[in-house]
Amino acid sequence: MEYLIHILVMMCLYVILSTSFNLVVGSAGLFALSHAAFYAIGAYASAILIIDVGLPFPLPLLIGALFTAAIGAVAALPALRIGGHYLVIVTLALQVIVLAFLINAQAITRGPAGISGIPRVELFGLALDSPQRFLPLAAFFAAFCFWIAWRLTESPFGRALRAMREDEEATKAIGKNVVYMKLSAFALSAGLASVAGALLGRYVSFISVESFTIEETIYVLAMVILGGTGNLWGSALGAVILVSLPELLKFVEMPAEIADKVRQILYGILLIVMLRLRPEGLIAEVSRAAQRLAPVPAGEVPVPAIAAATPAGEITVSGRGLSKHFGGIRAVEDFDIDLTAGTITGLIGPNGAGKTTAFNLITGFLPPTAGTISFRGRSVAGRKPHEIVRAGVARSFQDLKLFTKMTVLDNVLVALPRQSGDGVLSVFFRPFRVRAEETANIARAVEVLRFVGLEDKAGETADNLSYAEEKLLVIARLLATEAEVLLFDEPLSGLAPTTLEEIFPVFRRLAAAGKTICIIEHNLDVIKRLCDTAIYLDEGRALRKGTPEELMNDPELAGRYFS
Amino acid sequence: MDLLLQLAINGIANGSHYALLAIGFGLIFATTGIVHFAYGPLYALSAYFVWMSVAWLGLPFVAALVAGVAASTVVGMLAYLWLHRPFERNQSPAFVVMIVSLGLFIVVENGIGIVFGTDTKVLEEVTYGIHFVGDAVISELQIAQVVALVLIGAALALFLKLTNYGKAVRAMTDNPDMAAVIGIDTVRISVLVFAIGSAIAAIPAVLVLIKDGATPAMGFSAVFVAFVAVIVGGLGSIRGAILGGLLLGMVENLGMWKIPTEWQSSIAFVVLFLVLLLRPNGLFKGQ
Amino acid sequence: MLAKSMKPLGFLVLALALSAPAARAETYKVGAIMAMTGAAAFYGTVMTRGAQLAIDEINAAGGINGNKLELVIEDHKGGKPQPAVSGMNRMINLHNVQAVLSSFSAPTLAIAPIADEKGIMVLNGGGVSAKMIGASKYLFHNRSLATDLARALAVRAHERGFERMAQIGIKDEFGDSVIAEASRIWKKLGHTVVATEQYPQGAINVDTQIAKLRASKPDVVANWGLTNEAGRIVKRMRDLGMKQPAITMEWGKEAKKAAGGKGDGTEVVSDFFAVTDDNPWGQRFAKAYKDKFGEDPEYYAANYYENIFVIAELLKRGAPWNGAAMAAELRKNPTFDSVFGGKMTYQSNGVAIKRVGLFVVENGDRKFVKLTSTKID
Repeated sequence: MEYLIHILVMMCLYVILSTSFNLVVGSAGLFALSHAAFYAIGAYASAILIIDVGLPFPLPLLIGALFTAAIGAVAALPALRIGGHYLVIVTLALQVIVLAFLINAQAITRGPAGISGIPRVELFGLALDSPQRFLPLAAFFAAFCFWIAWRLTESPFGRALRAMREDEEATKAIGKNVVYMKLSAFALSAGLASVAGALLGRYVSFISVESFTIEETIYVLAMVILGGTGNLWGSALGAVILVSLPELLKFVEMPAEIADKVRQILYGILLIVMLRLRPEGLIAEVSRAAQRLAPVPAGEVPVPAIAAATPAGEITVSGRGLSKHFGGIRAVEDFDIDLTAGTITGLIGPNGAGKTTAFNLITGFLPPTAGTISFRGRSVAGRKPHEIVRAGVARSFQDLKLFTKMTVLDNVLVALPRQSGDGVLSVFFRPFRVRAEETANIARAVEVLRFVGLEDKAGETADNLSYAEEKLLVIARLLATEAEVLLFDEPLSGLAPTTLEEIFPVFRRLAAAGKTICIIEHNLDVIKRLCDTAIYLDEGRALRKGTPEELMNDPELAGRYFS
Repeated sequence: MDLLLQLAINGIANGSHYALLAIGFGLIFATTGIVHFAYGPLYALSAYFVWMSVAWLGLPFVAALVAGVAASTVVGMLAYLWLHRPFERNQSPAFVVMIVSLGLFIVVENGIGIVFGTDTKVLEEVTYGIHFVGDAVISELQIAQVVALVLIGAALALFLKLTNYGKAVRAMTDNPDMAAVIGIDTVRISVLVFAIGSAIAAIPAVLVLIKDGATPAMGFSAVFVAFVAVIVGGLGSIRGAILGGLLLGMVENLGMWKIPTEWQSSIAFVVLFLVLLLRPNGLFKGQ
Repeated sequence: MLAKSMKPLGFLVLALALSAPAARAETYKVGAIMAMTGAAAFYGTVMTRGAQLAIDEINAAGGINGNKLELVIEDHKGGKPQPAVSGMNRMINLHNVQAVLSSFSAPTLAIAPIADEKGIMVLNGGGVSAKMIGASKYLFHNRSLATDLARALAVRAHERGFERMAQIGIKDEFGDSVIAEASRIWKKLGHTVVATEQYPQGAINVDTQIAKLRASKPDVVANWGLTNEAGRIVKRMRDLGMKQPAITMEWGKEAKKAAGGKGDGTEVVSDFFAVTDDNPWGQRFAKAYKDKFGEDPEYYAANYYENIFVIAELLKRGAPWNGAAMAAELRKNPTFDSVFGGKMTYQSNGVAIKRVGLFVVENGDRKFVKLTSTKID
């Protein structure tokens, strides 16, 4: 009957809203509160284009979507750059300001009265003026929007997004532009929400701001949370449940004056109960199993990635007079460093000496208070970390920062450079190329894993690995970036001597292939056996440079550190 | 010119109201990490408790006030213990806790409507006078709002600085894991901040009851304002919450000096936006 | 012999014929789309009370031609279109509703197309803004057009000799139209509008708006706040030391409470429900309402009480339980008794003209002064 079909139409609209919101809240991990504003912009833009400009279906819907996505991008950009709680306020502000504009800009939006008399869609001479007739269209768009969101989350872009949600710093360190990623997810989500708005106008033939308040955003947020963030099927299910629940509750008979309030109370209680029973949401996020791997021929595994662009012996990274002050603390002071292709340099010194800070300066994670850094003769000062990684200087982290919820293979796969699948447009408009690259990339990733000896664990989730395997994965992920200069922050700490023996050759082969390597380490045995040169840092200053033997025989250093 | 003065007075008074809301909400948020959506309706409930004490139980106003604060405190603690604690134990993510609080929000707001009815409740017995400042007017209620902020703000600051419990709260705000490690009973402290936060909320609630009357839906804008003020003021900072609230009140009023009042909320947000642009972590960081 | 056996058979047939029931008594379900939850829940409460009281009275008197009425309520959650549409669909499908009481502008506009498509009569008794006129050929309003009231208020202010008017109202369709119309008339009468302030629907804090009104130094304030807002605005005016008189279009118990004793002297120009001596029906209604709910009836309760009686009257006049047919009957004969006293007549635009009265607030309550006109001379 018509009532039921009407409910199905509403479910379709809310599936679009919840899956698109899930992209932002779940997949990208951004707390934003402007979804109803985008729903509104879509509805109004479409209605105005239909009535005032006279465009036929589906142009108003499509143009509206682009327009909304653009607004989303513009609004979010400053917030995403700054991070923190900024995005919440900006999106709240957007929500409030958009609604205020819709109410007050009478000339364009008809003000508080809303826009009525929106003509119905006519397809093949048939006006879609009843729920039965509108349902196929609504269902089509629900499926289409779901597919768009799905395609995005399953693509390399989606993989990078999941990585970013887990650890943003590590994602930057593998060369991903996280601002671009957040912005794309946000804009796409806004565009999809607007589709729901356009459909609403065509269905009810009337739109007004009451449909688009912050309460609506919260309603959709509840669908996402209930269904399970990060899982699109979950948010679709959340939409189905939270649309049908109020209708089902209408069958609960009650004295008229309190009936609807009681039903609301039951709704609230059920929400709490459902979350209590399944706090990760009704459908938890799917952990993706590894791809089927083609067996790689045994034998000498070549060092993956490009041959070093700089001939061995030449200086790749050079820092002069680097300083980093935090208030009164001088973490790094007047630090000079030259890293040479084909060599392994050790950075040693007591805790808090400034070694990791030095890495942060070289790779753009921290801006220097003074000094210069150049890579292959060109200054990299002021460049973002992901740009520096792409240029060829990458680092790992002392606290690993592995993407623990992703598989070993995915950890490496996500770090591979120049994936066209990292770009949203390529995902949708060059699917074959993305697919072909993905196949090739998987093979490359497997090669990298073989290089460090982890290929058997490719399908394991990263948090199931042993400590030694985790350290190997860190190395593998860094290698995968194909950066020429590799900065390892305590890559071998805590490993057993036998494991060390197995890993040393990895470093030596990398150096032999022309990579520039710098290692922060405390283990003197490692320094002696691996490093060609070493720099001793203490209180932010480089006190000595030389071969490991020279440093270790130095009486002053012996007193400070080598006892 | 007198309009400006009047708007300034209104701004400080409203700002004090917002600041009080922000202090309570912010204390809970900063210490426990819980976005206590239901803070709004529970604030509303405080007003109803006081009203009920006068209208149904016949208590004199002061006794009703005390009863109202006490009841709010208890309800706040129960909200934590019965609703949030089970989720905390399961280490549920913050989003889930937020939606759970939303569920409580819906339950309490509608519950108020059922129990007390949907009409506006007023305290006709309590009246107040007005005073002139030049051509501008300040009502005794507005003075009470500012005084309440000063007293409560100072009391809370002293509490946090001087008492052992206060120090424990600060430790937990700073680093909850560390606080647990050094032996602070984080559950107890959480109950404490919920109690304090809810008790504080009762004061602006009563003042609004006297000024405008109480309705079941009055909680939504309260928690909305508190949330914004806390973000702008800086999480974890009492000073920040106060300043955020005052800033919001001032901007809402002074911002309307030459601009049509329809744009009131928009202007407020634009200014807040700019504030955050300059100081992305809010006006104050930490305590 | 055959005749003998026919007799009992004859009796049987006769008995059967006599005991065959008349057309079975039906229950006609009247829909109501109301603000039952959310910020405006007060309206839903009083509107449904009024409607239910009417239904109870009618059913107690035996219904209409033996058929009873039943109220089916849907919640539009404070003025939202979607729940209204869902509710409309539901009540049509599940309850064969043919007449619906609607409230608030957005829900009414949202269900208007469905009313047209399905031939359902919609009766609105809440705020009447111009946008709703003509939204559906089956939509009728038993409250004076907002613009008519604006006219009456402006005329009254002019009568009292004021020159500078300040206005305050809600930022919505309704507020926009009354303010615009009052401005127009006021200027036509040769006076000035010194300030216009509006506030968002549901806003409680209007301090900024009042401060600006005060600064504009008006002679009189046109107070377009509804229900408790009307009282709160007056209170706030007095709080800020404004001595100017206010004229409003509504003043009920909620306004009295919100005014906190400061409302005296406020004039009310309204198609307002008044228990006057020439209105026995109104008096009965007020008493019944007070007996059942313990309070004096609100304006909106009276309006929706009246709407049920309009439906009942149409059925009594012979219209079948069919929205389009009832609407046709209404247009054929558009005059009905009004619980506000006297009769009301629906105009061709679907809006009923009622008596408009001038009242003044004394000791917090509204006191009738005289009848006034909605037409300017």
